[in-house]
Amino acid sequence: MLKLVEVEFCKLRRKKVMWIMLLAAFVMPFFAFLYFGYLGKTNIEPALFYKWSAFGCTLFLILPFILGLLSIMLIHDENQYDMLKQLWIVPVSKIGYFFSKFFIVFLYSLCFMIINAAASVLFSVIPNYVAFEWNSIAFLVERCLEIAGLTAFAALPVLAVTVSQKGYIFPMCITLIYIFAGFFITPVNSYLHPLSCISVIISRGGAVPGIALLEPNLPLAFFSMCVWGIASVALAVVTLGKRK
Amino acid sequence: MSDRIIETKQLTKKYGNQTVVNSVNLHVKKGHIYGLLGRNGAGKTTIMKMILGLTSITSGSAEVFGKNIKGNEKRIYPRIGAMIEAPGFYPNLTGTENLEIFAKLRGTSAPDAVKKALEVVGLPYRDKKIFSKYSLGMKQRLGIANAILHDPEVLILDEPTNGLDPIGIAQMREFIKKLSTENGKTILISSHILSEIALLADDIGIIDKGVLLEESSMKELEKKNRKYILLQVSDVPKTILILERRFQVKDYSVQDEQTVRIYDTELNMGEINKVLVMEAIAVLSSGICNDTLEDYFRKITGGEGIA
Repeated sequence: MLKLVEVEFCKLRRKKVMWIMLLAAFVMPFFAFLYFGYLGKTNIEPALFYKWSAFGCTLFLILPFILGLLSIMLIHDENQYDMLKQLWIVPVSKIGYFFSKFFIVFLYSLCFMIINAAASVLFSVIPNYVAFEWNSIAFLVERCLEIAGLTAFAALPVLAVTVSQKGYIFPMCITLIYIFAGFFITPVNSYLHPLSCISVIISRGGAVPGIALLEPNLPLAFFSMCVWGIASVALAVVTLGKRK
Repeated sequence: MSDRIIETKQLTKKYGNQTVVNSVNLHVKKGHIYGLLGRNGAGKTTIMKMILGLTSITSGSAEVFGKNIKGNEKRIYPRIGAMIEAPGFYPNLTGTENLEIFAKLRGTSAPDAVKKALEVVGLPYRDKKIFSKYSLGMKQRLGIANAILHDPEVLILDEPTNGLDPIGIAQMREFIKKLSTENGKTILISSHILSEIALLADDIGIIDKGVLLEESSMKELEKKNRKYILLQVSDVPKTILILERRFQVKDYSVQDEQTVRIYDTELNMGEINKVLVMEAIAVLSSGICNDTLEDYFRKITGGEGIA
């Protein structure tokens, strides 16, 4: 498995798009900077700024979309250049292949959210919108790491669909549908979609103003994510098994 | 253990109602080069894919080293090097980087395995050119380098000379021959180019429309190809009349308006020439010939030729 992960890193050489995509981590912190600059407020509650910069659109839209794109990128070349048959006769285990891709998505998600956290601190503390406090920074980093890990798991269905397809258009459509479904399902039922489950977990204890639920059911949120994850792995295993 | 490294029994592949490979019994002997010859779409690649377990078998079986690949992948694959169809590699990586990936995945222990494999196929080591910029011939060479990277006992090469220039084809032929004669590798090679197979293979399987029409050694095949006297004359009907009446020739065939083949090679060619000239028939050429492999292929496939 480690060998597969190591090889996955080797495959990413000269993929500049991967680095460019990381710039998306600055988008919401920058918008938060503009927004609070426009309001002209200083010494605002840190969680309020971080809700804008990290716990809002970054969680629901940007990071899932970036991870969906990454999943497609990781798998598309191998499909396009008909490389899988060369990998299978090495032999590479199909489940190992799937999890090595997931591991890259997971690490990328961590990097993305660490950059997002750093950008959030920079854009909030330097213009003095938020007072510099280790507690609030620790809270931000902790939740960002949680978002990173959980969103990587939430990207499993997209990864599973991507490995089951030869093209990239269908996985891309599924990515968009999946993300927007999460966005729209959340107000109806927060435990149906992995992305809404993440919002339940992240906003636990009313820590994030505005997206706190009345009675958050954390076990149910984790259970829902597990069901989605298991179903995705099963789909990937079945479809990879069928693919030659 | 049998000396057959690859063996298929009644190997069949169907896509819906279409049978693309029909009850193929193939036998590849240890240390031999087996040439699978057939036109495009004859089913060569499908047979190779079924042997490698890359496509499902509808019925029959395919065994490598006496075992079915399914369930024995970890034991059998490391002993096989294969290149099926156009070789695919990561477009953003150089040839060396691509091979290093496969060397890592295979756990190739030799530190200079990549360098050696590239040297063998004539590609530069640590070149900066990325795979997407490679020519078709370079891609093909890299595919072969990948197949031999881990020093496998068996090589399965699907049309390995596709896209190579004439010098490259000759080099590849020499290299494949060397692998078999000097290193004792067993090689299953497919091609639609008859001359390639004729120059390379120890054994040959002729496949047409998914059916293995003939399987024999090249030596046997050469024996089977009949010798004949080829006559090129100005008047074929008159020549035939003379051959039948004066020489009692019955086994002959008319090729065209000027050419006759006589399959009784015991006849005195000098006498035939003399009689024909005396009968005012111009003898343009005469001599003893052998059927070429192409003629043979044409004959057993029902008149359709090959490249």
